[in-house]
Amino acid sequence: MSTYNYVVTAHKPTNVTHSCVGNFTGPQELNLIIAKCTRIEIHLLTPQGLQPMLDVPIYGRIATLELFRPHGETQDLLFIATERYKFCVLQWDAEANEVITRAMGDVSDRIGRPTDNGQIGIIDPDCRLIGLHLYDGLFKVIPFDNKGQLKEAFNIRLEELQVLDIKFLYGCPKPTIVVLYQDNKDARHVKTYEVSLKDKDFVEGPWSQNNLDNGADLLIPVPPPFCGVLIIGEETIVYCSASAFKAIPIRPSITRAYGRVDADGSRYLLGDHSGLLHLLVIAHEKEKVTGLKIELLGETSIASTISYLDNAFVYVGSSYGDSQLVKLNLQPDTKGSYVEVLERYVNLGPIVDFCVVDLERQGQGQVVTCSGAYKDGSLRIVRNGIGINEQASVELQGIKGMWSLRSATDDIYDTFLVVSFISETRILAMNLEDELEETEIEGFCSQVQTLFCHDAIHNQLVQVTSSSVRLVSSSSGELRNEWHAPSDYSINVATANATQVLLATRGGHLVYLEIGDGVLEEKKHAELKYDISCLDINPIGDNPNYSNLAAVGMWTDISVKIFSLPDLNLITEEQLGGEIIPRSVLLCAFEGIPYLLCALGDGHLLNFLLNTSTGELTDRKKVSLGTQPITLRTFSSKSTTHVFAASDRPTVIYSSNKKLLYSNVNLKEVSHMCPFNSAAFPDSLAIAKEGELTIGTIDDIQKLHIRSIPLGEHARRICHQEQSRTFAICSLKYNQSSTEDAEMHFIRLLDDQTFDFISTYSLDQFEYGCSILNCSFSDDNNAYYCVGTAYVMPEENEPTKGRILVFMVEDGKLQLVAEKETKGAVYSLNAFNGKLLAAINQKIQLYKWMLRDDGTRELQSECGHHGHILALYVQTRGDFIVVGDLMKSISLLIYKHEEGAIEERARDYNANWMSAVEILDDDIYLGAENNFNLFTVRKNSEGATDEERGRLEVVGEYHLGEFVNRFQHGSLVMRLPDSDVGKIPTIIFGTVNGVIGVIASLPQDQYVFMERLQTNLRKVIKGVGGLSHEQWRSFYSEKKTVDSRNFLDGDLIESFLDLGRSRMEEIAKSMSVSVEELMKRVEELTRLH
Amino acid sequence: MDGPATPSKNSDGASKFLVDLPSKGLFSSSVISSNLGGMRVYITDHDTTPPENQLIKTDQVNILIRSLLLKQQQKAGTSSKTAKGVGTNESSRKRAPERSADGRASAKRAAGTTQNGSRQDVLKSQIPENLQSLTVERLRALLKERGLSLKGKKDELIARLRATTGSASSSAAKPL
Repeated sequence: MSTYNYVVTAHKPTNVTHSCVGNFTGPQELNLIIAKCTRIEIHLLTPQGLQPMLDVPIYGRIATLELFRPHGETQDLLFIATERYKFCVLQWDAEANEVITRAMGDVSDRIGRPTDNGQIGIIDPDCRLIGLHLYDGLFKVIPFDNKGQLKEAFNIRLEELQVLDIKFLYGCPKPTIVVLYQDNKDARHVKTYEVSLKDKDFVEGPWSQNNLDNGADLLIPVPPPFCGVLIIGEETIVYCSASAFKAIPIRPSITRAYGRVDADGSRYLLGDHSGLLHLLVIAHEKEKVTGLKIELLGETSIASTISYLDNAFVYVGSSYGDSQLVKLNLQPDTKGSYVEVLERYVNLGPIVDFCVVDLERQGQGQVVTCSGAYKDGSLRIVRNGIGINEQASVELQGIKGMWSLRSATDDIYDTFLVVSFISETRILAMNLEDELEETEIEGFCSQVQTLFCHDAIHNQLVQVTSSSVRLVSSSSGELRNEWHAPSDYSINVATANATQVLLATRGGHLVYLEIGDGVLEEKKHAELKYDISCLDINPIGDNPNYSNLAAVGMWTDISVKIFSLPDLNLITEEQLGGEIIPRSVLLCAFEGIPYLLCALGDGHLLNFLLNTSTGELTDRKKVSLGTQPITLRTFSSKSTTHVFAASDRPTVIYSSNKKLLYSNVNLKEVSHMCPFNSAAFPDSLAIAKEGELTIGTIDDIQKLHIRSIPLGEHARRICHQEQSRTFAICSLKYNQSSTEDAEMHFIRLLDDQTFDFISTYSLDQFEYGCSILNCSFSDDNNAYYCVGTAYVMPEENEPTKGRILVFMVEDGKLQLVAEKETKGAVYSLNAFNGKLLAAINQKIQLYKWMLRDDGTRELQSECGHHGHILALYVQTRGDFIVVGDLMKSISLLIYKHEEGAIEERARDYNANWMSAVEILDDDIYLGAENNFNLFTVRKNSEGATDEERGRLEVVGEYHLGEFVNRFQHGSLVMRLPDSDVGKIPTIIFGTVNGVIGVIASLPQDQYVFMERLQTNLRKVIKGVGGLSHEQWRSFYSEKKTVDSRNFLDGDLIESFLDLGRSRMEEIAKSMSVSVEELMKRVEELTRLH
Repeated sequence: MDGPATPSKNSDGASKFLVDLPSKGLFSSSVISSNLGGMRVYITDHDTTPPENQLIKTDQVNILIRSLLLKQQQKAGTSSKTAKGVGTNESSRKRAPERSADGRASAKRAAGTTQNGSRQDVLKSQIPENLQSLTVERLRALLKERGLSLKGKKDELIARLRATTGSASSSAAKPL
């Protein structure tokens, strides 16, 4: 890896932080707008449901999102403020289908302490001003003029320093805010202020209320006619206005989100920390509030935002689990719940930990994440591949072959699907109700297995069985001609196209037939030395009905031969080597280049460039696609040819930029495939898998597919053990029902195929699982799971006690083999030179794996290194140890074998609060810190002085805008040695917002080129709301802001491919390269994820 | 405590509150489809800078000074009855202290503050005549607000500043 890094999102953020409903895209159109941290999604509400419209990237982390309507406007405007103190007002231009910027600005102040409880952005209900609370003790006002334009902003001093919430009150002659705050005795109060725009100051408001619930932290302003405010506490809910005060006690809960149901504000939905949804009702008489009522409706994901949509449908956005579309039913279901979940929107966030595994052992990583929190915790298996959208399926066992046939030669759709079994052949066809129904073709022999079928010219069909070749009229179904194999020479394999048939019989006889109108003519016959295993005469020349070449795979001598047709002369012979016979050969052309593909019985695939005139095979390449025999078939999708390799790991082979590419298909095992382009299922494939025949369409692009394994508890650490084929996780379960200590911590063992819990080890009370590792030790071949724990005592600031537990998996059970007490929390564990390296509070400690006299094993401390605040993240490479400290950035340690000591070699002297570290190569280390930045540091081994050598130089800086919890080396796509992309090393990261991203180290020349492209793209692709890309990606912390360097924004670069042609040309021109060249180079990068 | 909040066991607890939920005819289809088309990723290639006067900045006058000034103005406003005159005066008077506040801020910076200040006030600072007399830090601050490289020796910094004096004002006026 290198200093030049390319950062790209493989899976976009899915954590929903805000949502709102309003008429954004048109006066008559109702929209749901969802904020997912750095993106907003616009949906349209329709009678049929939610219709997705736009996914808008925002150059900032969204802090507040509000819809509002200034006077005189017919549709709503969207106000967005970002965490880096920028705001913008967006408007939808329905004519141009564009988001336009109405206003934007910077609302940062030179002095000021950022608020502890998050930024608050609110808009006066009468649209007189926007209020922002960004710094303690300051309230910023952006006034509107009477035309709905914004004016210069100003600050007002706010006496209350610990503000929990601020809202505007409805129905006030002057804009009035209500402030919920905590005083220095930790008591909570509310107070109202009128904002005087003339004096630019607050005027004491109409009322205040002291000494509220100690857990009060949410205000809900109530619209007219009631006005006033609801104060949501942990134990009470209070309605408060100038004239009324009503309170009700509630079951202790922390309310996370609310959604207003009625326009008059008489009903609200409240979502609490355990995912329970309540309905809060304001009881009233003649516009006077008489009381409050609260009713439990049911359970949803733990909500971070709730939006009432329409007609009892509610959108529940979540940070800790999947977001949901729910319906409120009038009558409870059998469990007493009024909530019906209709749809779940996948959310991977927060990704606390993940591991990259290759469960199918085929060179493609799958990411298994610890996602979600509390009750919504889950494991997610994320893999890249092509999906099949299943349209129909039937149970059919024992399929041996499938072919689709047309009822007339010039028909565009397939009519028949011939399915062959070991002792019969069935013909399926679409009936008038568009159902697949069994039918018959009179001239076909259906009592035996079919070896091959094909459409032939002159409205004929060809069927090859072990004894004969039958030529049948496709319209009448009558048998027109038959060619019989000589007795004793049954046909083993056969192939055909519209005019030719090639078959091989026992004893190595090759017979070539040509098809005429009602005639089957034996043209040529050849005898080969050995039996033939596979054949192909797929036409790849100019004539789509006739092939000049035949490919033949051989038993015994393991070779592929190319024959010319019609004379059946051997022109090329290629020895495949090895002992695995070819099981399927295919002649095909991708992007005009002819290839010969040859699949072996062990799941390997060879490809050759084929010279169609000489038959010469060149440029041999071998890839492993699976472990079982592969059957190759061509199919067309969007008028390009692809090859489907059916095996235990089905793969689609396609070509881009004249390179063969391989994409996984997200199906378990496919035995046969044939294209089936029928009127009812256009462009579909028929797929035989695991006793089932499926008809489906294929995704045109590969994308991430996510499988969820709900755990019902919060998984915090995960690792995989190859030897036992298991995962181990550290998890915690919140027990809500019991009143006493509610957290329980476990080490759980899961099967890596079924993901069932197969064994559990309960940790002690107060004991947390902090780290987990699969490792083995020197002079011991067993694989162990090592778990580091901490005893988190309520009275301690930092844990002072922990354990290292060493487990072995025996008969699917976790067996505790050794245990070692530590003097602090074991934040990280690493396998290191056959020993165990642990990070324990401020110390790095190395343990040896010792054999005791009685044959048992124990961990024995060897050496250690002090000098950290908290050593949270540790990575090792050879003898080097890279430590990510709580607040002292990255340091580099070295283990000295001779002295048996660990010493500090160098450190980065910046004060970065780390969230993850990784080693890119010997000299470059990558870190992520808690202001959402990435940076790289370089070891300076050539430094002249000790001082220089002892300093890690910062070489790259970048604002990712995401909190990274984990880096792992690995890749989401299949890495094939013959592609350029395969040589680029990559790191995967997972973040709190559910982003899975890739960091790729580019060669310098490529980096320089892409950097130029990025600079050019910045001029063409503008930030929504006028936000600047350059500022967004600049490294930003409380201490400094510097431009990004040595990192490229892959998301921006790859959006080049979505630009219009003229824009592309504009960029290509300014870079003086061709558009094709640019597209090619960007497309190459998209294959990294 | 638990009383009112626990769901009432006799079924229709919440039912009576769930009647007449607002509806505008959306989500009315008997079959709610989960797949109504894909999400288009929005790429902005049109100009997104806001209309001219809608690039909002914060009034940088100290809150205390501002309130004193406002009081002064109001007094003046009540004494002189021409309200219109106050309006025009207001703006001109407001500018003056603003500038003086800026001056102070830059003086402070020259005295050794290395932190990057807010951009608004910096944008207005002019390039002084006598660049040689300024500290390197002050020069860097001037370079930074013009978006120029901060690297090099003092002489280079001065040269770079001089070279761009002409275009400096226009680049500084660009939106952030």
